[in-house]
Amino acid sequence: MNAHDPNPLLALLAALQDAPLTRFATETAAADPGANARRFRFLIGAYVAVWTILAAYLFTLSVRLRRLSKQVRRLKERAGL
Amino acid sequence: MDRTVPDRAGWQHAHFAAVALLMTASVVVVFGVVPGERTMGVVQRIFYFHVPSALCAFLGVGLCAAFSALYLWRKDDRWDLLAHASAELATLFCTIVLVTGPIWARPVWGVWWTGEVRLTSTLVLWLILVGYLVLRSSAENADQAARWGAVVAIIAALDIPIIYKSVEWWRGLHPRVLRATGGQGLDPAMEKTLLLCSVTFFLLFAYLLGQRYRLGLLARDVEVLTHAARRAAASGPGAQP
Repeated sequence: MNAHDPNPLLALLAALQDAPLTRFATETAAADPGANARRFRFLIGAYVAVWTILAAYLFTLSVRLRRLSKQVRRLKERAGL
Repeated sequence: MDRTVPDRAGWQHAHFAAVALLMTASVVVVFGVVPGERTMGVVQRIFYFHVPSALCAFLGVGLCAAFSALYLWRKDDRWDLLAHASAELATLFCTIVLVTGPIWARPVWGVWWTGEVRLTSTLVLWLILVGYLVLRSSAENADQAARWGAVVAIIAALDIPIIYKSVEWWRGLHPRVLRATGGQGLDPAMEKTLLLCSVTFFLLFAYLLGQRYRLGLLARDVEVLTHAARRAAASGPGAQP
């Protein structure tokens, strides 16, 4: 990954070691607004995907729980418990 | 442990409320508080849900292997129910990792997927987990499902150190920020945000594990009651000898 480290000595050492810089530096300069808009769509897409997967799982889990609870209640009634 | 399904509705609601509150706080912090990353821009914010999901997937696999080992040792079906629940959640969170990873990679690396070791080993983990669930559902009885599942769970756990250390053992494109050294780690604000999101996801995992375990207990109760009803019908006054 090609990140910018504020410490030039650190950047030089890493370049000499041929190791990728991995620091996630905070934004200090205005980035290209067009590129940011495109990236924002990917960000929204990722979060929508996370919420959709979690919501779908929660929904199926609650449906399965409700169905089994009803089944247990019915079987207990039939057995006279 | 009690053999019947425990009724802890109050605790469950409180737990769910805490998860919902923390999830809301996480979204607010991720989108409105934490500073952006200089090189990747806004898309780096995927990191705050991608990494906690990966940690939850690892936790799920680790718990599944541990519960499976306990089942093989103790032969108590409660450990198997917990192992099954952990595996299902590990699959869920591993799916999130495999969906959010390529969405992050596309604008940053220019490709959705590469043959990088971390990506490939994570996909292998997901395939093992899906295999675990398919294998269990195709077993002839509960004991066979538990034994087969336990073996696969232990194999899945062996993949975790490979995924975790892959960025150190094979230098690839995947960033190495959690265990980066020499001042190359996370920015403090990003570190705190990641911590908040990780706590939120671990609480969500715990909530889902409790609910999934309850589902397993209910399924077992249905099986026991159905067998009892069949036995009663067979030994009833109108039953054939």
